[in-house]
Amino acid sequence: MNDFVEQCRREWRRLGVSDPLAEEMATELASDLSEAEAEGVSAQEFLGRSAFDPASFAATWAAERGIVPSPQSQGVTQGRPVSLVAFTATAAIALIVAAVLLLTGEPKLTLRTHTSGPAGFGPLPSGGGQVHSASAAAPVEWIFLVLSIVALGFAARLWATRGRSQPPTAPA
Amino acid sequence: MALGAQRGTELLRGVLDLCLLAVMDQEPAYGYEMTKRLRERGLEFVGEGSIYPLLGRLEREGLVETYRAASDGGPPRKYYRPSSSGRLALALGVSEWRAARDAVDAVLAPVKIEVAT
Repeated sequence: MNDFVEQCRREWRRLGVSDPLAEEMATELASDLSEAEAEGVSAQEFLGRSAFDPASFAATWAAERGIVPSPQSQGVTQGRPVSLVAFTATAAIALIVAAVLLLTGEPKLTLRTHTSGPAGFGPLPSGGGQVHSASAAAPVEWIFLVLSIVALGFAARLWATRGRSQPPTAPA
Repeated sequence: MALGAQRGTELLRGVLDLCLLAVMDQEPAYGYEMTKRLRERGLEFVGEGSIYPLLGRLEREGLVETYRAASDGGPPRKYYRPSSSGRLALALGVSEWRAARDAVDAVLAPVKIEVAT
């Protein structure tokens, strides 16, 4: 049982719980566990499933006391998955599209349109319509590519941040 | 977990805060003491999830007051008792529970099926 309390202490330390509060909770828990043990009640009987996951137990307790950010108060983190998935998917699709456009070797996107032919070549034939001209370096595709890479990098950073700050699941 | 125990846990989850407030309202108690009182009254599923996070929430919401005092022959313990807000919450919660219980009873009362023992 002391090992359980020590693991809770470690989790509270990791979460940044102040020493006095961590000590208060550890003392409370140790006293109760000792009494339960003296009466023949196992940690599992007393704590239920929490007995197998001291880190989660400690984190949940601290969160419910309001001494570390609770899952509910981390609204940005909680609400992030759907929007983050959508953002990541959009960036990935943009990257693929830009790469395909560039790899095919033929600029597909126009930068500007003309309603008349280039200077010196006279007017277009009747009904000639528009001539779409693309820049030789196809900068639109390159800009598209760079922006999508930047977006993916930003998304990767958000995912990494989220992974580090994933809150515990609070039981009842 | 057996279906019966699982349902018992789920049912208790929604009213465990009321039960804790009720037992500490009878007499201030520390954590383990509260679980013993609840078990003595037939609530055997208290351990699932533990009461500490719930006590922490009640404390954060100002529904309980705490103090340290020596237990019988043991080290000083952290005792909990309902605050004035906690007593009000208990009264409201009990009213809600009774209304819900009566409504469920009204729905289940015609059921004649019983589990053979």
